[in-house]
Amino acid sequence: MIRIARRLHERLHLFMAVPALLLFAVFFVVPLVRGINISLTDWTGLTPSYHYVGLRNFAEFFRDARAVHALRVTLIFGLISPLLLCALGLLYALLLDNRLRGRGFVRTFVYMPAIISPLIMGYVWLLLLNSENGALLQLLTMLHLESWYRDWLGSPGQALWVVIAVNLWQFVGYAMIIFLAGLQGISAEVIEAAKIDGAGYGKTVRHIIVPLLLPAIRINVVTNLIGSLAVFDVISALTDGGPGYATESMSLFIMRTSFNGHTGYATAVAIVMFAVILIPVSVALQLMRKADYDR
Amino acid sequence: MKKTPLYALMALIAVVSLIPFYILLFTALTPSSVSLADSRLLLRHVEWSNLSHAWRESRLGDAMINSLIIMAGSVVLSVIVSAGAGYVFARVATWYNRFFFAVLLFSMMIPGIINTVPLYSLMKSIHGINTHWAMILLLAAGFVPQSVFLYTNFIRSMSRDIEESAVIDGCTPFGAFWRISFPLLAPITSTMVILNAVNAWNNYSQSVFFLQSQDRQTVPLAISRFVQTYGADYTQMAAAALIGMLPAVAIYFAFQRYFVKGISAGAVKG
Repeated sequence: MIRIARRLHERLHLFMAVPALLLFAVFFVVPLVRGINISLTDWTGLTPSYHYVGLRNFAEFFRDARAVHALRVTLIFGLISPLLLCALGLLYALLLDNRLRGRGFVRTFVYMPAIISPLIMGYVWLLLLNSENGALLQLLTMLHLESWYRDWLGSPGQALWVVIAVNLWQFVGYAMIIFLAGLQGISAEVIEAAKIDGAGYGKTVRHIIVPLLLPAIRINVVTNLIGSLAVFDVISALTDGGPGYATESMSLFIMRTSFNGHTGYATAVAIVMFAVILIPVSVALQLMRKADYDR
Repeated sequence: MKKTPLYALMALIAVVSLIPFYILLFTALTPSSVSLADSRLLLRHVEWSNLSHAWRESRLGDAMINSLIIMAGSVVLSVIVSAGAGYVFARVATWYNRFFFAVLLFSMMIPGIINTVPLYSLMKSIHGINTHWAMILLLAAGFVPQSVFLYTNFIRSMSRDIEESAVIDGCTPFGAFWRISFPLLAPITSTMVILNAVNAWNNYSQSVFFLQSQDRQTVPLAISRFVQTYGADYTQMAAAALIGMLPAVAIYFAFQRYFVKGISAGAVKG
């Protein structure tokens, strides 16, 4: 008995992964498996009984105009946001990598929104943009330019672009920090050598800096893809999916249908969303790994 | 001389970043009867009672305590279990350890939101709705993959010598890790603490479903309830949002260095 206890004591460290794996299994793997099971049923979430309906929920998805629209919103937001974040983040980083007085403060200001809840930041932008007494409307009225004001958040064609812009404003600092860290890793001599060889600034950026920033670009693209395709908070705050369903993303759609007595169907949509996220993320990873080898 | 346009651009960026915060401050502190145009854009009439009113109305004090409990619990739990798992994955190279590590890595690509519906029925069956403990477990579980990943990478880069000499001196490997190696993980631990704390403090997409009672609401929920229940009272909403974001901003300014280090650590290693 004592011997067993001692051996266990000596090998205790081998079990240190168990708590983490247990947490992960209970709150991630179990729901995932359960979700696949629920997606094949007509469960309403209200009654204990349900029937298996095969793949009917998945077929339903493609006939449901609102669901397909949510897929479109998710793809537009989720594919455009990472590109814009990368592009603007790189520009910010290139600018603030210069020896400018006060650049530390500006970096701090740019990054500050990224640590605040997207929900709260969304509400703050509502203060600026709302059509009742938003700051922008008041400013334009003050300058007698109120005819320039448009209720972008209230217009089905434009609301999504406002959401994309607010998200860009909030998280550009995150992309910038990652690029700045990448720029630290590029030695001044490489840049100097390019300059001596007669490369202008544009050429240096395109042919020297961007290829050397590939790891930073990868982390930016992949994390922002995952985050943007799952977007929830900022849409909740700014438009709550409106006007109508114009800015309803898949995550919002899933939440709403699941608590409207269509739990089985909502779970099937969640699994579609899982695929929608996995495909672009693995393509991005693959493409960039290839680019990495090509160098 | 050549730098003038760069300074102009930098000033523009600073202004774009700060304008929404100024509007927030203005709306939160100005009496609702005074408009931006009335006061010529300047903060002239400061009405501090806006803040205390919003604080009472949205029960922000209770919400801060709830947020604090959930944040502290999930951060401590995720750091402890992830450091342990990271140690095993870095030091004990068996096929199952490699497999579990790969599974965790893969799961980082899956946002938690797709699991919300089945999680809801799970939370109900373990009586975890509207409880601190279940929310702590749920959030900590969400932090595990990234934390384990960063810990494993960090521990791999550390030498085994100290642990081994502690074992020779009569420590068990378990004791050697927690007493000798864990303190040496301070740099990565501080990063983990800050990243997970911010994520826990800001969490909305999960707490909105699992913390529905007003007694258990966290800060983002308190502010959202404010917007939804009281219609568009922008003054009150701004005051609540201002108070709600202050702790995060304060922590950010105090630990800025670690934030930057933490994010770049992920970037370089990734």
